[in-house]
Amino acid sequence: MAKRLVQGNEAVFLGAVKAGASFFAGYPISPSSEILAQASVYASKNPEFRFLQEEDEIASANAILGGSLAGAKSFTATSGPGFSLMQEAVGYGHKVGIPCVIVNVMRVGPGTGMPTMPGQGDLLQTRYGSTGDYTSIVFYPSTVAECYEYSIQAFNAAEESRSPVVLLSDAFLGHLNEVADLDTIDVPVVPRTLEPLASGSTRLFSGVATYPDGEPATADGDEFIRQYYESRDNRLAVAEKYNFHEYGWNKDAETLVIAFGITARVARPLAPYFALFRPIRMWPTLDKELAEVAGKYKKIVVIEGSDGQYASVVEHMLLRRVERVPLLGGRMSIEAISEGLDRIGMLPAGFAVDKKSTVAVG
Amino acid sequence: MAVKDKLKTELFPTIWCPGCGIGLIMQQLASVMDDLGLDKTNTVLITGIGCTGRMGAYMNFESVYTLHGRTLPVAEAIKLVRPELNVIVVSGDGDTASIGGNHLLHSIRRNPNVTVICNNNEIYGLTGGQAGPTTPKGTSTISSPSGAGYSPINLQGVVASNPNAFYAKTTVYHQGPMKKAIKEAIQWPGFAFVDVASQCIENNGRRIGFSSANDMLQNYRTEYKAAPAGATHLEPHQTGIVKGEPLPVAGGSGNGSKN
Repeated sequence: MAKRLVQGNEAVFLGAVKAGASFFAGYPISPSSEILAQASVYASKNPEFRFLQEEDEIASANAILGGSLAGAKSFTATSGPGFSLMQEAVGYGHKVGIPCVIVNVMRVGPGTGMPTMPGQGDLLQTRYGSTGDYTSIVFYPSTVAECYEYSIQAFNAAEESRSPVVLLSDAFLGHLNEVADLDTIDVPVVPRTLEPLASGSTRLFSGVATYPDGEPATADGDEFIRQYYESRDNRLAVAEKYNFHEYGWNKDAETLVIAFGITARVARPLAPYFALFRPIRMWPTLDKELAEVAGKYKKIVVIEGSDGQYASVVEHMLLRRVERVPLLGGRMSIEAISEGLDRIGMLPAGFAVDKKSTVAVG
Repeated sequence: MAVKDKLKTELFPTIWCPGCGIGLIMQQLASVMDDLGLDKTNTVLITGIGCTGRMGAYMNFESVYTLHGRTLPVAEAIKLVRPELNVIVVSGDGDTASIGGNHLLHSIRRNPNVTVICNNNEIYGLTGGQAGPTTPKGTSTISSPSGAGYSPINLQGVVASNPNAFYAKTTVYHQGPMKKAIKEAIQWPGFAFVDVASQCIENNGRRIGFSSANDMLQNYRTEYKAAPAGATHLEPHQTGIVKGEPLPVAGGSGNGSKN
């Protein structure tokens, strides 16, 4: 494949295929629907790739759990409202230990919200959305080429951690068309780690707390704690291998901007004035990596498409106050960022928005 | 092989209450599995939340004990990815018809080649005896002290919305017909649903006037009659099998298709 225009959602799908995915189940929802459409077209030409359009997102999420247990690398794609419906299945996948990938192309919530406008308000939902304690691995790319790359990495991390891994995107990135040559992106693929069903053994895959022999352990706190820490430690260890992030822009500046996904690119005209820390692995948080650079900066400002979800997380990571520029209502623009910086007295002197290119690329 | 090889007898006694009907279903399912050569290399069990869901743990198969109501999305995906497997769903009426009702509607429409065995005790037993989707109108339960307010769901009608599906009604008293229904359902190419009336003495029966599980079984014996040969629709309290037009099933040998 030579260089060509690729859409963010398409790149996610192509990354999944590259990673060896062979089952997609989904339900249409803006702004993720192109992934479902891509999967249906691909399945019609490649019968070994299985496709199910489900009756809802609850079915989609449970179907990819079943597909993965049956032996297929499995995935679904959705947006915030659908992701909410999937949360019970996410927790089940963590409890049972089922590798699969959920792509969440974020829009503006809550409720039906603004279905075609970009948001980043599902960040905490990817960490705490299901009931109980579990350890999420979540990636959030910010270019079309990265959508491809981290789609593959999401499947790799899912296999290694035996858990549902979330690949975040947003309405802006998902619908962005960029020139890319995906064939030049070489990511080794992790093979399947879970023995498929009907292996000849008699395993019981159960969301109920059970002992290894399948007997209920629903009142044994010690057994629960043993299993919980075992899976948590395993997933944290796997996540360490996937500590993707970027540190750049003007590292000599006084202030560090933290931005991720599409927001890091929209903020690009500010590059001369600020340093940038861009987490790609959103969860588990990059505590060590951020602490290494944060100490150098007098101030930290988090620019994000929610009312401070990640800013609060950063404050918790660093135990220090950070400034906030929330980009709400789908206003992912340098004007909105400038207004936000101005409100908190942090707009660089002499910075003016170039009206001819309000969307930064590169 | 023998029937008992299908069961993890080392885990017995089961957690089911004395007098529960579920064990009678498990026994006949194990017997059918033995007859048809179903084993842990060619068959998987998918079970849902509720007392019935524990069946997967007691059988010598790999099984998935799904979230409440989600047997069918899991089963359908497994069948799609691995068409050579026999995929058998075992669950209760609450799991299947209430919280899982939307999946039931749509799985039926897609006609996957899976078998559903529904332990229909007309009550939410595991949670103590609340009215469920199959509870007869007027039944006193702990969530309907003055009688269940609504007509029960018409499972036969729901299944019949797919003209290619298989529906059987039987009871745990009628062991021979139940075995026949389960066997034919597994052999059916396409969606097959076995609706088994089954007693819950502890959390339903005593409350509605039965003194013992045997009382409830005797009630099935006297209340249920076999439908006339060739019936295309079962009346209330009739046992029998209603078959749609079988469709050839693409790919795979599990659950009845003959590759």
